Amino acid sequence: MYLILAQSAKTTWWQSLFSGMSPASFFNFSFLPKYLSFFWQGLVYTLLLSVLSVLVAVIPALLLALGRLSKSKAIKGITGGYIAVFRSTPLLVQLYIIYFGLFGLIKIPSHTILGFIDISRFIPGICALALNSSAYVAEIFRAGILAVDAGQTEAARSLGLSGWQAMKLVVLPQAIKNVLPALANEVVTMVKESSICMTLGMMELMWGAKTVAGTTYITIAPYVLVAIIYFAINFPASKAIEAVERRMRRGDRKV
Amino acid sequence: MEKQDNESLISVRELKKYFNDGEIKALDGITVDINKGDVMVVIGPSGGGKSTFLRSLNLLEVPTSGQIIFEGVDITKKKSDDGKKLDLPLHRRKIGMVFQHFNLFPHKTILQNMTLAPMKTKGLSQAEAEEKALALLERVGLKDRADAYPSQLSGGQKQRVAIVRALAMEPDVMLFDEPTSALDPEMVGEVLAVMKELAKSGMTMVVVTHEMGFAKEVGNRILFISEGKIVEEGTPDQIFNDPQSPRLQDFLSKVLI
Repeated sequence: MYLILAQSAKTTWWQSLFSGMSPASFFNFSFLPKYLSFFWQGLVYTLLLSVLSVLVAVIPALLLALGRLSKSKAIKGITGGYIAVFRSTPLLVQLYIIYFGLFGLIKIPSHTILGFIDISRFIPGICALALNSSAYVAEIFRAGILAVDAGQTEAARSLGLSGWQAMKLVVLPQAIKNVLPALANEVVTMVKESSICMTLGMMELMWGAKTVAGTTYITIAPYVLVAIIYFAINFPASKAIEAVERRMRRGDRKV
Repeated sequence: MEKQDNESLISVRELKKYFNDGEIKALDGITVDINKGDVMVVIGPSGGGKSTFLRSLNLLEVPTSGQIIFEGVDITKKKSDDGKKLDLPLHRRKIGMVFQHFNLFPHKTILQNMTLAPMKTKGLSQAEAEEKALALLERVGLKDRADAYPSQLSGGQKQRVAIVRALAMEPDVMLFDEPTSALDPEMVGEVLAVMKELAKSGMTMVVVTHEMGFAKEVGNRILFISEGKIVEEGTPDQIFNDPQSPRLQDFLSKVLI
């Protein structure tokens, strides 16, 4: 009796909370050989989702930015309202409203591309992310347009170009070059943010991790693995963008 | 001079420009006629309204009230009396402008800077526009820099390009807004030389400048603007050798001539 008590005292009560958890459990990647495809396909899904949604967002964002800079109060108000709504509500909420609301009305047939991307989920996902992203990218564009020296517009207008020609031929080319790094950063943000699409069963990285965890009862390591994958993409990408930004700043000279 | 009304290219009438609801009167009733062939040099203290006046002439600055009649059309009116809508870009094409800070387009080559507006607004083909641009560049000694970007040029070269870029539109009048103020001293001469040659060729010019030597030598009319008003107007000889108003006498005593 005494011996038993003494022995159990060696494992105090709080240690039981961590039973089954060891440093090794964080890196228990024994599931990999069998479930590698979940992560590989998840990665492709995530990248497609984030890159495509930012690309789709570019044109609406440009229109929103021009609207924000418009002289018309009505256009200014509408575009400003759109941007305010999308920047002040959670992306997850927007995703649900767009998926169940908008795409409850518009039915997209279930069709699979690349063997694992079901477009009836993928397209609503792109739409939700792009609508959200366009609000942020619009502000990037607006800042980029305002950063172009006012003298450029004046020179263009004094040569007889119309307001739209001055914007299209002189201001926008300079603004877009200036905002490319910020646009790339938006993709980096989207790579992370797109993980919420898991909640609607889109088979991106996070969904892969959750499914593997549920199937194998290895609860931590799959998430550690996707964290490593997200980091391995985003950290070098951000560093590369920073380097490009530094180079662009050096190249800028007053003309 | 008898037929002044017919020869007047730009008639400015009672031009006013107020900021902050009239608190600041940048222009306070300017009336002047700019005739064909005039080289009108506008001088005066900083903040006196010289630049605002010049920038009003092509409506980069929208006046609070008054008229600017350019080639018979009041360009301050969005609609003429017979209901025709004003085509401002059309008028601006005939009014060339050169800025203090050059404002060349940094993302385009020198040649592209010069061909952009003629191609987009006058429908010139690329070949036509380039031929004309190269001839103009040759005139200012910069033909060999046609394919360079603005950032590769010196300040004086940039300003010479800016002048011929405006000339490529074949304007009827050229406006110069302190064209040498942002230049290193050793580059002022090359720009003034181009402007002098341009004046000799008969171009109508309105020049805001602090270069009194240029005003004396090249200008045929001098306008002294201070506190938004034309304080004195006359020939270079009248203005520099026989100034009437105390304000002008004071100004001339402070500037190097």
